[in-house]
Amino acid sequence: MMSGFTIVIVFAAVVGLSIGCYLFSPKGDNQTVWRFTSILTLVSMYLMWMITYLAQLHPLVAPRKANESYGKSAF
Amino acid sequence: MPYTTLFRSEEVAAIQLYFPAEVARSTVSALGEIGCVQFRDLNADTSAFQRAFVKDVRRVEEIERQLRFFGKQIEQAQIPFKGIDYDSLSAQAPSIAEIDELADRARHYEARLNSLNESHETLQKRFVELIELRYVLRETDTFFHQAHAQSGEIRQSVDSDDGSNLLDSNADVEHSAAASRFPDSGSLAVMNIGFVAGVVPRARMAAMERILWRILRGNLYMNQVAIDEAINDPITNEPVDKNIFIIFAHGREILSKVRKISESLGATLYAVDEDSRQRQTQLAEVNSRIGDIMSVLHNTRQTAHSELSYLAQNLQAWMVSVRKERAIFQTMNLFSYDEHQHCLIAEGWCPRLDLDKVHRTLRDAAIHSNSSQSSIMNEIGTLKDPPTFNRTNKFTQAFQSIMDAYGIATYREVNPGLVAIVTFPFLFAIMFGDLGHGFFLFLAALYLVLNEKQLKRAKYGEIFDMAFYGRYIMLLMGIYSMYTGLIYNDIFSKSMNLFGSRWTFPEGSDAETLSGVQIGTYPIGLDPAWEEADNGLLFTNSLKMKLSVVIGVIHMTFSLCLSLVNYRFFRSRLDIVANFIPGMLFLCSIFVYLIVCILYKWSVDWSMTDAQPPSLLNMLIYMFLSPGTVDEPLYAGQAQIQIVLLLIALVCVPWMLLMKPLVLRREANKARAAGYEGIAVAEQHGRISTSANDHEEEGVGAIIAEEIHGEEDFDFGETMIHQIIHTIEFCLNCVSHTASYLRLWALSLAHNQLSKVLWDMTLSNAFGMSGAVGVIVLFMAFAMWLILTISVLVVMEGTSAMLHSLRLHWVEAASKHFQATGHAFTPFTFSAVIDDL
Repeated sequence: MMSGFTIVIVFAAVVGLSIGCYLFSPKGDNQTVWRFTSILTLVSMYLMWMITYLAQLHPLVAPRKANESYGKSAF
Repeated sequence: MPYTTLFRSEEVAAIQLYFPAEVARSTVSALGEIGCVQFRDLNADTSAFQRAFVKDVRRVEEIERQLRFFGKQIEQAQIPFKGIDYDSLSAQAPSIAEIDELADRARHYEARLNSLNESHETLQKRFVELIELRYVLRETDTFFHQAHAQSGEIRQSVDSDDGSNLLDSNADVEHSAAASRFPDSGSLAVMNIGFVAGVVPRARMAAMERILWRILRGNLYMNQVAIDEAINDPITNEPVDKNIFIIFAHGREILSKVRKISESLGATLYAVDEDSRQRQTQLAEVNSRIGDIMSVLHNTRQTAHSELSYLAQNLQAWMVSVRKERAIFQTMNLFSYDEHQHCLIAEGWCPRLDLDKVHRTLRDAAIHSNSSQSSIMNEIGTLKDPPTFNRTNKFTQAFQSIMDAYGIATYREVNPGLVAIVTFPFLFAIMFGDLGHGFFLFLAALYLVLNEKQLKRAKYGEIFDMAFYGRYIMLLMGIYSMYTGLIYNDIFSKSMNLFGSRWTFPEGSDAETLSGVQIGTYPIGLDPAWEEADNGLLFTNSLKMKLSVVIGVIHMTFSLCLSLVNYRFFRSRLDIVANFIPGMLFLCSIFVYLIVCILYKWSVDWSMTDAQPPSLLNMLIYMFLSPGTVDEPLYAGQAQIQIVLLLIALVCVPWMLLMKPLVLRREANKARAAGYEGIAVAEQHGRISTSANDHEEEGVGAIIAEEIHGEEDFDFGETMIHQIIHTIEFCLNCVSHTASYLRLWALSLAHNQLSKVLWDMTLSNAFGMSGAVGVIVLFMAFAMWLILTISVLVVMEGTSAMLHSLRLHWVEAASKHFQATGHAFTPFTFSAVIDDL
């Protein structure tokens, strides 16, 4: 059952992945580029997912649609 | 320090190079090949004509002009160029002997081509005249037959013979000569009728007739016939329609008038004999001469063609050599010449990591030219600002250039281009978020990236060049757009149900509208139930607006932290305490507080509490308007905490405004009291270093005598104004830029709605039809849908989102940390020469 804790768990996972990317990015002239790109990507993706998830945890409005079987009586 | 980093620009050292005169040229060309050194202009106060190597530059430019002339001739003759083999371009620049040989050859070929072209023109003119003469000879046959037939009707001249003697005696001669030739039919000469035959352009025909009629008062007989085929005018090479005419008139004066008038109207006159036998011989002669000229023309063309083909083989390579040579001499013009040691002295900049490469190049160049002396490189100290150099590769180059377009970073400040590699495409993706459209973008970019070797040299126009230059940006934009499309749950305006919707609607209800009941949370992205909901936009707008504000404030906070990195690197503790800390506190106490509230409000289950979920917008407004009273608290103790935050923000404003100028003034006063003057920063044009032999020269005096700019004393007024502007800008921009990030919501809403409308108007209608009509309509509707998707939704919306993302980087992010007072590192390199072809 999804709850608020999912966010914390995923956050921990992202932190772990970022540390991994920091340590294991290919050495050479482009190490900074690899590090920045991978960590920033992970952070941005997490932020976007987290905000969407958090907004749907306890939404203040529920989806409302027209009743298709309105006016049709059941046999 | 073996590795470079894109995080800040590289260290650039000021160097001084001594080139012995005989190896100077080849060393400079070797330096041009490696492209690591930027040379300063040491002769800035001399004009272009007074520089040392002006003659060489002129000579090389002359050769270039001749090569360009060849190029145009080759293009006119439509001979294909042999392209340059880029991989095998020689690393060594051409030697002096090669350039001399090239100059000779260019001169020789230019003379040849010019003479060939001239003779071709003359021959062409002759050819056209002969063709016209042939026509005239043919057509005047008919005229003469007609005229002779009618000559019997023409009355004899009744003028007595005791008119002018001169005329008569000549006429007698003609009469007798003509009479002998035309024993039976009356000759025209007998009747003193002369003729003028020629060719005139058809357009002038009517004008000529009118003018002649008027001037000669009708005393002429004119006959004309049109030439069927158009004749090429030799000068303009355009076909002109012409007519043949023959004019019969009495008397010599009239005939000379006729000749003058027709020549003035652009007619060409030809001498045609009256006697038909003579005409036949003339015709035969003309035909043979036409044949001769045609063969000569053909030969000339062949020769020219073969010479041009030979030139076309080598032209590109020669052009590259010549351009390199010119670049070398133009660079050498920047050096200063030391007469005592017969060497050229150059000053410039070189990245510290490339100093070894330059050393090696200097040594190798000396070895190659078999010289005993090699060039020397020294590092010198300088007060000037070094140029900013970021070592980019094909991936990072485009991202770096979009940030460089705003401004070149100050020497060694944090490079925003590195951060832009992710933030630019990601902010684009937030505005573009559609899995399907992102996939199209990704495919297009993938094609460009996988085929970059072939496409690099193709010339498809400027727009394609721009798209190709940004192929890696497009690739990342496409990938991130696919991710945000997944989160927005939007693929071509439809939602996917990957994990099962977490909203159930009650079955068997009699109500008019159904409301969903929540069971859990959709794991990744937006729940698909919102797509068909009537109030879907209500929820998604709220989500996207808050998403924009949260991402915006985080982006701005991140940029502000980059300014801290800058202050620590440049060791200015005052800036940290006086600029960074109050700025950060101001931003955090208001806007980070706002996003914390947003996140907190989302995490509370309001259905479990009795309280009404408060409006965050009102909360923020009333936090300022009526501090201390909170109508609908979001959390316990809110009023007190908000007062504290407000006080912190209020304190930050005068803190940021006053601390730095006052501290600087106190330090300046202390320094002045201790007796130190400010350091003058000299603006120097010539060499900033001197050598031991320079005593006699003006070198030493020049540095002192040149203009000295710079602030000697600390100007409190200016500093204060600067700080006032900074404070006002910072505080107002916090509010305005936070609101500006709402464009992330606005564009993504527009994109979503536009693609929904497109779907509803085309495919949705088509799916509603059935039968054969439905099939045809579906086919056409899909075509329209696809074309509009690609052109409007991907290309147009993509460009728009790209511009907005760029604006967010240039204004909102850069204003927090980017100083941008640097100048770019422009090394002397031949790569521009090659790309220019």
